[in-house]
Amino acid sequence: MFRLTLRGLVAHKLRFLLTGVAVVLGVAFVSGTLVFTDTVKKTFDQLFASVYDGTDAYVRSASVVKGQFGPNQRGRIPETLLPQVRAVSGTAAAEGQIQIRRAQYLDRKGKGIGDPGQGAPTLGFNWNTVRRLNPFALVSYGGKPSRPPKAIREVVMDLGTAKAEHFGIGDTVTVSFDNAKVPKDAFKIVGVAKFGDADRPAGATVALFTLAEAQRVNATPGELDGISVAAKPGVSQTELVGQVTSSLGRRGIQVITGAKLVKEQQNQIQQNLGFFTTFLLIFAIISLFVGSFIIVNTFSIVIAQRTRELALLRALGASGRQVRSSVLGEAVLVGVLASMVGVALGLALAIGLRTVMGAFGFEVPTSDLVVKPSTFVISIVLGVVVTFASALLPARRAARIAPMAALRDSAVESRRLGRRTAIGAIIAVLGAVLLFVGLFGASNIQLVGVGVFGLFIGVAVLGPVIARPVGRALGAPLPRWRGMPGQLARENAVRNPRRTASTAAALMIGVALVGLITIFASSLKASISGQIDQAFRGDLVVVGDAGPGSSFSPAMAERIAKVPGVAVANPLRFGAFEVNGTGQFLLASRPGELNRVFDLAPKLGDLTTLQPNQIAVSKKVFDDKHWKLGQKLRTKFPEQGAAPVTIGAVFGRGQREGLSDYFISLDGFDTRFTQHADSQVYIALDRGASIKEVRPKVEAVAKDFPGAKVNDISGLKAQFETQINQILGLVFALLFLAIFIALLGIMNTLLLSIVERTREIGLLRAVGMTRRQVRTSVRWESIIVAVFGALLGLVLGIFFGWAMVTALHDEGFTQLSIPAGQLVLVVVFAALAGVLAAAYPARRASRFDVLDAISTD
Amino acid sequence: MSTPAASPRPESVAARAVNASKVYGEGEAEVRALDHISVDFASHQFTAIMGPSGSGKSTLLHCLAGLDRVTEGQVFIGDVDISASSEKQLTLIRRDRIGFVFQSFNLIPTLNAAENITLPMALAGRKPDQAWMDSIVATLRIGDRLTHRPSELSGGQQQRVAVARALVSRPDLIFADEPTGNLDSRASAEILNFMRAAVDDLGQTIVMVTHDPSAASYADRVVFLADGTIVDEMLEPSADGVLDRLKQFGG
Ligand SMILES: Nc1ncnc2c1ncn2[C@@H]1O[C@H](COP(=O)(O)OP(=O)(O)OP(=O)(O)O)[C@@H](O)[C@H]1O
Ligand SMILES: [Mg+2]
Repeated sequence: MFRLTLRGLVAHKLRFLLTGVAVVLGVAFVSGTLVFTDTVKKTFDQLFASVYDGTDAYVRSASVVKGQFGPNQRGRIPETLLPQVRAVSGTAAAEGQIQIRRAQYLDRKGKGIGDPGQGAPTLGFNWNTVRRLNPFALVSYGGKPSRPPKAIREVVMDLGTAKAEHFGIGDTVTVSFDNAKVPKDAFKIVGVAKFGDADRPAGATVALFTLAEAQRVNATPGELDGISVAAKPGVSQTELVGQVTSSLGRRGIQVITGAKLVKEQQNQIQQNLGFFTTFLLIFAIISLFVGSFIIVNTFSIVIAQRTRELALLRALGASGRQVRSSVLGEAVLVGVLASMVGVALGLALAIGLRTVMGAFGFEVPTSDLVVKPSTFVISIVLGVVVTFASALLPARRAARIAPMAALRDSAVESRRLGRRTAIGAIIAVLGAVLLFVGLFGASNIQLVGVGVFGLFIGVAVLGPVIARPVGRALGAPLPRWRGMPGQLARENAVRNPRRTASTAAALMIGVALVGLITIFASSLKASISGQIDQAFRGDLVVVGDAGPGSSFSPAMAERIAKVPGVAVANPLRFGAFEVNGTGQFLLASRPGELNRVFDLAPKLGDLTTLQPNQIAVSKKVFDDKHWKLGQKLRTKFPEQGAAPVTIGAVFGRGQREGLSDYFISLDGFDTRFTQHADSQVYIALDRGASIKEVRPKVEAVAKDFPGAKVNDISGLKAQFETQINQILGLVFALLFLAIFIALLGIMNTLLLSIVERTREIGLLRAVGMTRRQVRTSVRWESIIVAVFGALLGLVLGIFFGWAMVTALHDEGFTQLSIPAGQLVLVVVFAALAGVLAAAYPARRASRFDVLDAISTD
Repeated sequence: MSTPAASPRPESVAARAVNASKVYGEGEAEVRALDHISVDFASHQFTAIMGPSGSGKSTLLHCLAGLDRVTEGQVFIGDVDISASSEKQLTLIRRDRIGFVFQSFNLIPTLNAAENITLPMALAGRKPDQAWMDSIVATLRIGDRLTHRPSELSGGQQQRVAVARALVSRPDLIFADEPTGNLDSRASAEILNFMRAAVDDLGQTIVMVTHDPSAASYADRVVFLADGTIVDEMLEPSADGVLDRLKQFGG
């Protein structure tokens, strides 16, 4: 039987190439993702290990606040701890550490270098004088020697930036910061440094100052982020930590080993990467899922075509089991071969991904690709299991072929549609229930995913039941439009409902996801736009290129406030703090000027007179938690630690409306956070002042602050839309893979079908069908199948979109928007894709030898 | 052995082969299916082609019908040299001027009987002559089967539908390759009677390949083929006469 399997493979190379391609692409995506993330992870692991190579202990504040979205926020420690740490007996050297949130070089035209919004951070640190604590190493550059920064207004620049922006040692460079005292300053470049082996760390720009200078430009005099400690020879990391801890006491201070610090950083990267990996793997799984439909289909058709041969084998004494093994053997072979090709392709993909990330400013230092044995195993097992599982059903069907079938003329598709309807309906309903529970009840994303898969499978099972009537209806105008070729196309599209349905189902998946994302994005845009209309009362807004993470010196708002025609320039700051132990997002602004730029929909108390020791909360949280006005909240801030604040006011527009559930005055913010940078500035103009006249003046101010962009309301909306469209583009690019695989499926089915119909096509040609008419017929058959799949997908997509947006109503999705035009376009594209998929099969069919019809038997 | 002389009136020749050869394969594997054949088929005549298996009957029919091309020589349908026609022209000639009846698999399974009958005209985008269609359908007694798919028809009914298709567009010429090969004698007789009538009453021209001497006896003329050449012919054949002649060639 195995010989038969092998011969089957060799005899139908094209067929198995197409089946294999579906597996190859899916597996390539999986292995590419794994290789890429493993490579990035290893690169960063090594990076952190080398950066903290000389650090044996690290002293930092014990005060940490969980971020609701971003990383945790940690407080600072006084510089006065430094001599104490140095005095510890096991300490060889100790040095204070400061990371400046924003230290952006300006090029000679005054434009900011680096783009924090796109993932190229603008870092600033203090220069470590102790060699083993310093990850940077000075290099001579442009024939000039480098030296460490020693005084005020001296900087050491990373080699990458120096090269890219043509700065040399001895040049003067302007650096922009985000605090009020030093918005920007000019520095003399006294040295250029490498970061380990790299010119700079992962695409970031780096500015290195003396410790005192770093404190000055960061506006945090006398404070440190932490202290790095190197141990004397023979003192272990744990011993050192013990000594430092007992010397400093435990009040508000935390001491950890260098190893733990490295581990923490590595974990942080792994977490960030984890999101990315999951994201890519989801698309890989979708591709494989789509591919599995094609495998099921190919094997089913092939078995239907081989019914007579298999029945003859049965008649000659082969058992059903042997027939099944033969089919499954074929599947395993295809699976193994395709998976191996897929892994190889995955390596290429990993290199490609690295290039793409580089283009987005996230340079991954070049190192060898990390191909773990587990990557091989996972990819190949996945590929083989998917192929094998997909072939199970067709194999079972093959094993059930009765020896009598050898005598019958042709296989008649069994039509037990009643049972099929029941099974399909049950699976679909189960899927829908899981989806709803996941969305509305448990809010569990895994459950949602399983529900979506269930619905896909349920509808795919139901497909054959509706394929005939829907296909007929879709093809109804064809006979009139395209005459006899049109009529034949329609009849051929529905003559094997099972085949048509599973071919269409593959496309359905991609289209459903495109539909879902389209509706999701459109609803998001509509909701944001609605929220801006409702909540924003001002005329202009200054936003940064890093979104809510942008930080500007408060000097900007002060200068804008002085622009003639500007009534109010109210800065907005964001912070992370904890309420009753959970991380929350805090909004800060000037309460007195709030009403001019925002409508927070006040409910209780007076927002505009909010005191520094008071906080305003949204009505939703207020009601949910049964709080009372004047009640003290158990809150914790990074700088202050646990410090209660009083509820002073309640407002209507919170996080659900795209804002925050917590609001505090700017003064209140400044006492609880040391980083006093503005994220955005909201501007209201004097009555009678025209936006057209004032805007250029505001823009002139903003030009001094790199990354700042002035927008009016429509510009603000447009900016959000651009951001959403960018993400949309990425998702569509990834979904394209699933759709591409589905197209291969249509092509494969068509090829198998036309081969099956060789005689028929020959007969048609004999009685006068032209080649062009043959092509037309195949093409329209493909279009019907594609549009059928697209419509199924659209119905599901709209359902998913509706369910998702409705479920996220409380997260700010206040409006459901179903963009009919775009969705119609999706169907049109599907039809065009059908034309594309049909191109080769149509050509093949039109070139069949006419005589085959009458000569072959 | 007599070789048929070229007809003195070319316009009355429906199809003709002139010194036509058909060679399959090359070198060692070369098979000469037709070997310098020249033959005319007069209009309004019912011609049968007979000969042993492998003698080239089907090949000749295919080449005459524009389904295949000769390797050497010329083939004319009326006065059109189809050996010089393009693929597209051949298709249109088949569609508009020629009717076919094959031994089996004559019908498109997804079309019903009526649609199969009008298929060539539908492909040409023409409407069938309804009165003509009705009379053919009535004569062939398939009127109550028109909405049935081929799988719902008997073998004989299927062949009658095929004959109806061959006739409905009033082609210049009908080619039939063993049209009764799969039928019992009664069903065969029905088909052959109808073909005979089509020639006598309607002036059709029919060229039919057959192995069956009694089928050949319906024809006006029998052409005998052996090893790719025409070895004999017989006018106004009787079944017994044909049988005797065949025995001579070892058919
Ligand atoms: N496509 C082909 N390739 C090679 N040889 C062929 C091909 N078609 C036919 N032949 C050969 O040409 C010769 C004539 O074949 P043809 O089909 O015309 O015979 P026939 O007289 O119709 O026989 P039968 O009565 O068995 O139908 C045979 O020897 C056959 O083997
Ligand atoms: Mg033959």
